Amino acid sequence: MIARNAITARSGAARRLDGDRVLTWICVGLPTLGLILFFVYPMLIVFVKSITDLDGAYTLGNYSEVLNSAGFWRATRHSMVMGLSTTVISVALGFIIAHGLHRCSFRGKWLIRGAIVLPLLAPSLVQALGLIFLLGRNGLVNRFLGLELDIYGFWGLMIANTLYALPQAVMIIGASLVLLDARVYEAAEVTGATPLQQFRDLTLPASRFGVLNAAFVVFIITITDFGNAAVIGGDYSVLATEIYAQVIGQRNFNMGAVVGIMLLLPTVAAYYIERQAMKRQQSTKAGDTQPFVPSFRPLRDLPMAGLCFAVCTAIVAILGVVIFASFVHLWPYNYSLSLRHYDITLAGGYSSLWITIVISVMAATGGTLAVFLLGLGMRRIADRVAGPLQVLAAMPAAVPGMVLGLAYILTFNSTATPLYLLYGTAALIAIVNFYHYHTQAFLTTMTGFRQLPGAYEEAASSLGAGMGRIAINVIAPFIAPMLISVFFFIFMRSMVTLSAVVFLTTPQLNVAAVTIMRLDDAGLTSQAAAFSTCLMAVVMAALLGMKGILAYYRRRKPFDTAG
Amino acid sequence: MYLTARNVTKKFGGFTALDNVSISIASGEFVCLLGPSGCGKTTLLRLIAGLAELDEGAIRLEEEDLSRTPARKRGFGIVFQSYSLFPNMTIAENIGYGLKIRNTPAADIAARVAELLELIKLPQAADKFPGQLSGGQQQRIALARAIAVEPRVLLLDEPLSALDAKVRGELRSEISHLQRQLGIPTLMVTHDQEEALALADKIICMNQGTVVQTGSPEDLYNRPATRFVADFIGTSNLIETARAREVQPDLLETRPEGADAAYVACIRPEHIILRPDTNGRATVRSVIFLGNMCRVEVDDPLGLLTVETHGGESYREGETVDLSIPREMCTWVADDVSEAAS
Repeated sequence: MIARNAITARSGAARRLDGDRVLTWICVGLPTLGLILFFVYPMLIVFVKSITDLDGAYTLGNYSEVLNSAGFWRATRHSMVMGLSTTVISVALGFIIAHGLHRCSFRGKWLIRGAIVLPLLAPSLVQALGLIFLLGRNGLVNRFLGLELDIYGFWGLMIANTLYALPQAVMIIGASLVLLDARVYEAAEVTGATPLQQFRDLTLPASRFGVLNAAFVVFIITITDFGNAAVIGGDYSVLATEIYAQVIGQRNFNMGAVVGIMLLLPTVAAYYIERQAMKRQQSTKAGDTQPFVPSFRPLRDLPMAGLCFAVCTAIVAILGVVIFASFVHLWPYNYSLSLRHYDITLAGGYSSLWITIVISVMAATGGTLAVFLLGLGMRRIADRVAGPLQVLAAMPAAVPGMVLGLAYILTFNSTATPLYLLYGTAALIAIVNFYHYHTQAFLTTMTGFRQLPGAYEEAASSLGAGMGRIAINVIAPFIAPMLISVFFFIFMRSMVTLSAVVFLTTPQLNVAAVTIMRLDDAGLTSQAAAFSTCLMAVVMAALLGMKGILAYYRRRKPFDTAG
Repeated sequence: MYLTARNVTKKFGGFTALDNVSISIASGEFVCLLGPSGCGKTTLLRLIAGLAELDEGAIRLEEEDLSRTPARKRGFGIVFQSYSLFPNMTIAENIGYGLKIRNTPAADIAARVAELLELIKLPQAADKFPGQLSGGQQQRIALARAIAVEPRVLLLDEPLSALDAKVRGELRSEISHLQRQLGIPTLMVTHDQEEALALADKIICMNQGTVVQTGSPEDLYNRPATRFVADFIGTSNLIETARAREVQPDLLETRPEGADAAYVACIRPEHIILRPDTNGRATVRSVIFLGNMCRVEVDDPLGLLTVETHGGESYREGETVDLSIPREMCTWVADDVSEAAS
């Protein structure tokens, strides 16, 4: 009797082991299938289309045609000049603000922290819209100072891009500054180093990788951005607008694919170098690390505070003027306030806003689940499988949204495969949004998994819990804050993204950012401002919701994550 | 005295971290600030280093008033619990950093760095980065960095707490050896009584922002002044006055005058003599074998007593035993703990 029980127990254990293995392969398999179907395959199609001529024959003719066109070289030159100058200015400002936040002492830092994330809450083209209201032909500055500034073109685009990339630069450089704790500075202080020597010998070398990393990220954001270029670029054509012109203007998808591949080259190169640089950024930490708390030194802190507040004022002014303009009766002639622009006259009205919310919830829900499953499965598979998978999962960040969008239309608008069924559905837009931001979502989740002590799983496992139970009872609650961040990250990005979805919208299925662009194209600038204001309100509400939920979690402290 | 901190008070908001504390270090002396976490010992060290500003009192080095001197002009050396090496500099650059900012010629720096690396027995480490070394190695480098500039005072803030037991023991004797060899006056903060006993010429025992007792390790162990010290350093059997009077009145001969509650008797476990005796007054409750000795807990009319026996008899649980306490081994200590509680 006893013996039989023992055998039953053992065979039960064996069955569960098999069950766990199946579950592991589902966890890894489903997200991987998704990556292959919705990332690798479309990217292959884009490449194939770029070497296919209009009759369907393979040729390098498209490339030679593009390489021989003056327009392409002008757009390339513009993209590079724009990318480099934006990078220099954005990283310099980013360093000043990050240094101000982490290494200086002044009041009102919360205002700067708040202002600096604002550009992330709106589609990039809203910066451009705001700049036009401020500095454009009918802008406040020209009107009230009687100037004739022309903001369209290089300068306007550069300002818009700089502010748009600034939040990322500040965050990346700030993160590298945090790595040096207070004790290191105190050791230098006791050793006899002056504040200037501490800055030169500790702060600057420590932020070197952060600055480099930020430079590549800003460069990628800038050369791949479409919204700003479309609204304020004017005659200053860049690669992103060139793709749009080829595809939408001339209906020449294959040529668009060629330009897309050309845009892919610098982004992939920059992304690769950035990843390599990241690997070298290492920190050694023992117990008793203390965050650096700067003391007030007026000679350093007052000018730094002035600079930080000046930049943040510019950010707030540019977004604020959009909100203001949305309420103005008739810009720039009658500044009395009215709500008439909130009555959207373009076909569809606000429907695209509601659809965008639905799409964003879909992308965020599915995406969070997918990266959670992937992270969960990758803990349990051999390194030789997990390694390449990790590289694949981190790849989408190297692909510009325009190129991914183009790849999707080339792939899903073709009746050759059953995938055609997805074309023109909200689901496909949700999918493209998720894979566009797959890398960041995946890396955030992996950070959460890395903080999970293996002992929790082992303890639950030795108590007899199977993988599914462990995932639900132990792992998910532990990394819940991380998953919440990922959910809201995908949601907010999906709400505001333009470049990846601009090719996938149809007259029946439109998204918010595209509607703003159409309103602006149609000359209904004030309505574009009103629509932008509504969109920003939704995203702001999401951001506050996320902060609230995370604060609630921190207060409850279900797990002690100090270790 | 070489270094003195006199009547030092430090408050953080409404919390008094240090309340009118005075300490001193003689030249060449190794002094330990010992106490539980939150007792103010680290705050005192940071005030002496110049990393925090004192609210009241003064810090002097011989005749020089340092109270308002910035940390970088005090000429001290410091080692933290978290190693805190400069991550972007090589080991040689870390050790030579203090000399470099004092504009020492490069050749002299190189010579001094080589000499120090030899001293801490890491001659191969010069060109490595801190991240490539173990915790114990990093802490030795941090020590070399602190003494490279021949500091006037060496400050050690829990330098061994982040290390594992074996490395801690090695580094402890190395610190002791280096300090005696170089004769640098040293102030070390620790919560580990064993560390303090092993290293210090003088221990300053602190609790709740005040100094409770100062003395040599032997003083603090053999003649603790208060119940807190008796409890914090080593193991003690603490016996109430009334109980002692009832069971063994001769213990009261050395007792200072005072209310019953003012003093308790402190008897170290190794000073109680235990012998098997079926007519004895006590019963063995538990025996823990620790190799070189046994720790025996006995139920005695004085209360539950811990006794340490070295070799000789072995005891069993439930065995009846007799014990005696030589009255000269009984120290009466002020009952500061119940005072604080009341």
